[in-house]
Amino acid sequence: MLVLAAALPASGALAVWGLRRKPYAHWIGAGAAGLAFAAVALLPVGRDTGALIAGDGATWWHRVAIPWAPSLHLDFALAVDGVSWTLALLTALLGVLCCLHNAVGAEQRAADLYGADQASASASLQPASAPLQEPAGSVENGGTPGGGDPVTGVHAAGPATSGHLQVATGASGSLQDGAGSVEIGGPPLAAAPVHGVPSGAGGEERDGWQSPVLTALLLAVQAASTLVFLADNLVLFFIAFEAVLLPMWAIVHRFGDPRTRRRAAAKFALFTIAGSLLMATGLFVAIADTGTADLGAIIAAGGVSSGVSLLVFSLLAIGFAVKAPLWPLHSWLPDAHTAAPTVGSVLLAGVLLKLGTYGLIRVAGGLAPEGAADAAPVLAVLAAVGIVVAGLVCLRLPELKRLIAYSSVGHMGFVVLAFAAGTEAGLRAALFGNLAHGLVTPLLFFLAGALKARTRTGSLTALGGLRLAAPALAGLLGFAALASLGLPGLAGFWGEAFTVYAAAERGGAWLLLAAAAAFGAFLAAAYLLRMLKHVSHGSVAPAAFGIGDVSAAEAAVWSPLVAGTLLLGLVPGPLLALFAEGHL
Amino acid sequence: MRAQAIDHAAMLPLYLAAATAAAALFTGRFAKAAAMIGLGTASAAAVWIGLGPDRAAFAVGEWHSYVADDAAMGAAALFAALAVLVAAVSGRRPGENWFLLTASAAGGIALAGARDLITLVVAVETLTLPLYVLVTRPGRDGAEAGTTFLIASVTSSATALMGAALLYAATGTVHLEGLAAALGDAHAGLAAAGTALLLAGLAFKLAAAPLHAWAPLVLERAPLPIATYLASASKLGGAVAIVWVVAFGLRGTASAGIVVAVLAVASIAVGNLGALVQRRTVPLLAWSGIAHAGYALAPLAVIATAAGREHAGAAASAAFAYAVFFVLLEAGVFAALTAVRAEDGGAVADLAGLWKAAPLPASVFLFAVVGLAGLPPALAGTVAKVAVLEVLASSAVWLAVVVAAGAVVGLAYYLPLARAVLTGRSGAVPRRYAVALTIAALALVAVSLAPQLVLDFTSVSR
Repeated sequence: MLVLAAALPASGALAVWGLRRKPYAHWIGAGAAGLAFAAVALLPVGRDTGALIAGDGATWWHRVAIPWAPSLHLDFALAVDGVSWTLALLTALLGVLCCLHNAVGAEQRAADLYGADQASASASLQPASAPLQEPAGSVENGGTPGGGDPVTGVHAAGPATSGHLQVATGASGSLQDGAGSVEIGGPPLAAAPVHGVPSGAGGEERDGWQSPVLTALLLAVQAASTLVFLADNLVLFFIAFEAVLLPMWAIVHRFGDPRTRRRAAAKFALFTIAGSLLMATGLFVAIADTGTADLGAIIAAGGVSSGVSLLVFSLLAIGFAVKAPLWPLHSWLPDAHTAAPTVGSVLLAGVLLKLGTYGLIRVAGGLAPEGAADAAPVLAVLAAVGIVVAGLVCLRLPELKRLIAYSSVGHMGFVVLAFAAGTEAGLRAALFGNLAHGLVTPLLFFLAGALKARTRTGSLTALGGLRLAAPALAGLLGFAALASLGLPGLAGFWGEAFTVYAAAERGGAWLLLAAAAAFGAFLAAAYLLRMLKHVSHGSVAPAAFGIGDVSAAEAAVWSPLVAGTLLLGLVPGPLLALFAEGHL
Repeated sequence: MRAQAIDHAAMLPLYLAAATAAAALFTGRFAKAAAMIGLGTASAAAVWIGLGPDRAAFAVGEWHSYVADDAAMGAAALFAALAVLVAAVSGRRPGENWFLLTASAAGGIALAGARDLITLVVAVETLTLPLYVLVTRPGRDGAEAGTTFLIASVTSSATALMGAALLYAATGTVHLEGLAAALGDAHAGLAAAGTALLLAGLAFKLAAAPLHAWAPLVLERAPLPIATYLASASKLGGAVAIVWVVAFGLRGTASAGIVVAVLAVASIAVGNLGALVQRRTVPLLAWSGIAHAGYALAPLAVIATAAGREHAGAAASAAFAYAVFFVLLEAGVFAALTAVRAEDGGAVADLAGLWKAAPLPASVFLFAVVGLAGLPPALAGTVAKVAVLEVLASSAVWLAVVVAAGAVVGLAYYLPLARAVLTGRSGAVPRRYAVALTIAALALVAVSLAPQLVLDFTSVSR
């Protein structure tokens, strides 16, 4: 089952890529992700809790180990416990949702194309309902800002269509077999603007929008991340950590916002590899010191010897701090998030940042507990600074996705601060906050993506009146924002509240840090409410005029995240009990 | 005086390669087939001998001049196989071409078994000498490349010989095992000077800084199949020579570690910075190859410290393993390039659209480039990096950080290379050498999935 959890998305990725020309490729991907989710969800079954009573207080639920390259200490060793299982489950859940999002988006686009075909034949064109997938390119659709009446907007776009058509027909060929008839049957004037939606890749990639490839890359990221969470071998952990990089780079680089994606993708790749190689050095120092690469065994033995503990922890912490990201190593994050497509942002926020914090808590803290204790003040100060800086920056940011991305820096600051506090309550808070962020921020990114797809802008000043234009969407956005700012009763609260508590508990200078964190939470409330004020309230902005509300498919994709947020907020007990079983 | 019995089985791969070279000279238009079959047999023979018990020949007391252990036979098999690959992607060429190539491969096989300084230097010369002719294309540019290669090579050979002579003067022996035993109480100055000169001279073959400047020029102007050979088999020769000398002869000498550390750091810095500014494919790969030479040498530097000298065997194994993975990836990337480029390597931008136009060479190229960058899913490169970092992390953390920094810079030029292949569109691309590329791809995938195959024979014991 452990192997299946990682192998299913990987084989799914290959299958989707192999069948990328077929219209059902998306559903294969979604199916693979669904099966992987089932595999992860079934992991607690038959778990071995015997050693809990007998032994050192913690053990793996299951473990599987196959020798791979013994002379490098490389075993294909997977293991799972309460800490890694929750994160693996989150990864699998987000994987399923992202694949579904893609599949539904592609179906809808296909339906739009078909509908346009029909509609143009009867000369009664309706603007395409907004697709789920945020198109990467600029699109002359009917509902452009200032276009006024959408129907006339299409005709107004007429002069622009002649140059546009070439891209559009190229896209339709690879997207869907049936769409080919548009080229013959539909009058170009009417058909082109609708085709403009999937032609987002544009530019040099004239082969058009290949969403199945995106699904395949998502599955690859999911497989590698699951492997990171489940790895019980440090070398395997490093390899899996590295394996995340290329697919994510490709997602940002290939499917991102055309204006910024190159820079953002390169920045992401260079930051990440610098971090992961430093982390690798730390891991290998630990392996050389203990003579084994078995993560569980090293943790059980109390980590590396005290002589190298601080060195190991520093190397690992720098590596993971890049990924987490911890101020001042965060500067890749806003760029990558802003440039990435919606599903890319969701995975970045929901999964990749978790790799950093999981590594910090489980690997860095587990391998070098003494070093962690020594370095805790530095880490805590950086985290607190990060919280406040992120809050202040967010207050001034004019762009929706960038704002959400920067808020992640603050949230991860809470997680790191809680970890640095080092107490029982602190560790729980860190893990809890980690997971809560993994539910709330992806939801925010989904919503922001949907909003940007509908209005074609992410600028806060250009938005407004969503409450009137699309009440359900505005409601969900409000819900997610409240969860993100840590309203009691929602998932965000417990992690942040206990972080402040854990820091304050240490007393002394830590009280200052706790105060800074509390101030950061206040700033979070301020900037999220500011965002809501701009987006939801006020009079309806031209961009938000006539946009569609939440569709059933969207609601289905988002509902697990909403449900999870509520569940964690209202009943945090079972999750905390799971962490208690963890291998820390 | 008693005549010594020679273990002919140990020499079998070398006999086969030498016989193939002779046959290639006289078989006229069947020379290519003869060379490929003969070298293939030699490779198989090397594997077969390597799987059996360790053998040795030409003993002086306990010390042997020629050894056929796992590492030597693994390297020998690789030399022969790389030469076969080069022949397979070479197209039609005059008969003497095959003689020269086979002779060079025979030099490599001899080098793999060499355990004394004279055999080693002669083998390196045999490996290099035929290349003076092969690298030279007709015309002014080709002649310039050939001359550059000749002068650089002769200079470095003289340097290496001088080093060997000084070491002989210091210890009175040329056997590597003998050096290891005698260097402890030899004249320190002589030994240090000899070590420095010998290693610097041999580093030329590996194109490690400071004797690297020939590589980008010669690789760019040589015919692409020969560039493939220079980047793979010839570099393996340099790596093997240095690893053998350090692992068997100088493993207790701190100055050797310092020399290697200087070479490694200089190569990593120079190679990466040089590659960053390249806009043409072959020079980019050549500069990055200099950086990779630095990564391969880095583990050997741990013998500079007393703690590191205890791990000399592990360090040598890591260096050898890195070199093997690296030359396999280099062979893959150059073979793919040879298949799709008719004349020279061209600019990086010329590779645009390769993914659409020629999927097989493009995927081999991509896999190898990703491997050179050290990223999964091309695990061959990742495993190589892990092997090096594991050794460095145990005794020279600062060098591990240097290697890591180099790899970060490396990503900055490998990613655009991969992007160029993946995006855009191109015109017609020659489609050839599909069988050779398929086999190369399978070999790369095999060592990625089962790295233990390589790690087994690259473990330099003793």
